[in-house]
Amino acid sequence: MSAPITALIDGETVTAVAGEVWSALVGEEELLLPRAVPVDGPSSWVTVTGPWDGVVVLTCAASGTADLARSVLQLDDDEQPTAEDVDDVLRELANILGGNVKSLLPGPSALGLPETGPAPLRAEDEDTCRVSASWRGHDLAITIQGASEAPATTTTEVPK
Amino acid sequence: MRALVIDDSRAMRRIVASILEGFGYETRPAGHGREALDVLEEGWVPDLACIDWNMPVMDGLQFVSAVRANPAWRQVTLMMVTTESEHGQIVKALAAGAHEYVIKPFTADAIADKLSLLGLMPAASSPGVPA
Amino acid sequence: MTTALATSGFDWVCQLVRRESAIVLAPGKEYLVEARLMPLARQLGLPGVAELVERVRARPEPALVRSIVEALTTNETSWFRDGDPFTALTGTVVPALQAARRPGEPISIWSAACSSGQEAYTIAMLLADSLPNATSRVRITATDLSRAMVDRTRAGRFSQLEVNRGLPAPMLVRHFSRVGAEWEISPALRQMVTASELNLAGPLPRLGPFDVVYLRNVLIYFDPPTKREVLRKVRQVMRPDGWLFLGAAETTLGVDDSWERVPCGRGSAYRPMKGK
Repeated sequence: MSAPITALIDGETVTAVAGEVWSALVGEEELLLPRAVPVDGPSSWVTVTGPWDGVVVLTCAASGTADLARSVLQLDDDEQPTAEDVDDVLRELANILGGNVKSLLPGPSALGLPETGPAPLRAEDEDTCRVSASWRGHDLAITIQGASEAPATTTTEVPK
Repeated sequence: MRALVIDDSRAMRRIVASILEGFGYETRPAGHGREALDVLEEGWVPDLACIDWNMPVMDGLQFVSAVRANPAWRQVTLMMVTTESEHGQIVKALAAGAHEYVIKPFTADAIADKLSLLGLMPAASSPGVPA
Repeated sequence: MTTALATSGFDWVCQLVRRESAIVLAPGKEYLVEARLMPLARQLGLPGVAELVERVRARPEPALVRSIVEALTTNETSWFRDGDPFTALTGTVVPALQAARRPGEPISIWSAACSSGQEAYTIAMLLADSLPNATSRVRITATDLSRAMVDRTRAGRFSQLEVNRGLPAPMLVRHFSRVGAEWEISPALRQMVTASELNLAGPLPRLGPFDVVYLRNVLIYFDPPTKREVLRKVRQVMRPDGWLFLGAAETTLGVDDSWERVPCGRGSAYRPMKGK
């Protein structure tokens, strides 16, 4: 019998991870406020493969992506980040979120390279965990999709 | 002091470089390990390399092994700056020859602390010495 | 209901933080002050930050002032903060103690403002790595004014951002394991540390005697008579050949003349003067 994956990856932990990422990278006083709304906008994601396969997706309302890139890159308020900059920032945020989520899993897992685009929906997977937040009034969501069961922490059966 | 900043994210290269430049470093960017080796082979051998782990073409761990395999580059201090944060991954990077390890996300203070530990924090007032 | 922080209260907090830490809070950061001080207000059973500021303005207790300044200035305490007192520990102090004590005789160390425990565990790691039998021979007493900080020290758990702050990677992998999103110090090292609440400005409970005391960045928050009183009490719980480490900007000189300043590593330590 295995435990649900939410025993390892739950909303509270993902919120804490996102809070650390935001405070370190986006700006320490830019608080993420919890908010329960569906978010529509560009996404970035990384895959996690290993004993548990899944994907960590960051979705940001289109209204907020330029602002987010400007904050991470520490550009002036009137400076417009390029589309490439915006994509790059979204990818890197997904990469960092993904790496931190991966570290919650037992056993060695691999992180893919981050991508951007419309969020990948894996038909066989449910949302394992979904955290939505508001940052400077823009909606954000971090979604973990993947198998609903946690990988076993130890192998008890030794194949002969 | 010179630092090579190796990361496939331009945003991250810019963040790390601007922190290091704030401490008086001269920096050069590289988008992956192979590009970074090109810079070293060209003769630009830095005091410090900040190295992401997951990158296309050549990843950070392969870069660390390549640098350690060449005695001419022994003076380069290798610091991983990566979101890879399992205990086992850090052990692996140190075993390959990395000197320090910074986990993303990090603050500028975290980089400053590590540079102090490594003896690579330039004195605040001393002007850069051309190598 | 909480009361918003009035401009005068905010200005007062800014001046306080600037005076105590030289850190400038820019105008418009009222929400930051609110967010950072709210937990402290709640801890004291006050409805809001405005009431907290009102209370401390009316009666500026050093401990509370310190908590406010800390809440607004420090994000994470560094490991090996101002490295000199730690290199001095393994380079000078421990060899001297080994020479002066019987083999296996316990060594007692006090981390007198332990915050979330980084100082106490830095000491534990250094000694575990350099002194045989350290885990059974060394006792580290960690105290702090704040119950929350004492609880954190006891737990020995640190966030990713905290372990990023100046903890050498080889020590991280040797002495910590991952627990969820956090890192936890090994049970052997945690057993070396006993944490409890203590107000340095009040009467001290039975403590010590200590071979080494770390009393760093605490005295700066006290007025001269309190500083002298704290140093006098510390001397009473130290062994006559003990070592005291203060913060880089602190000294006993001109405060309490019963200490001798000695060069120690690249910095200084203070030792009880004979016959005082």
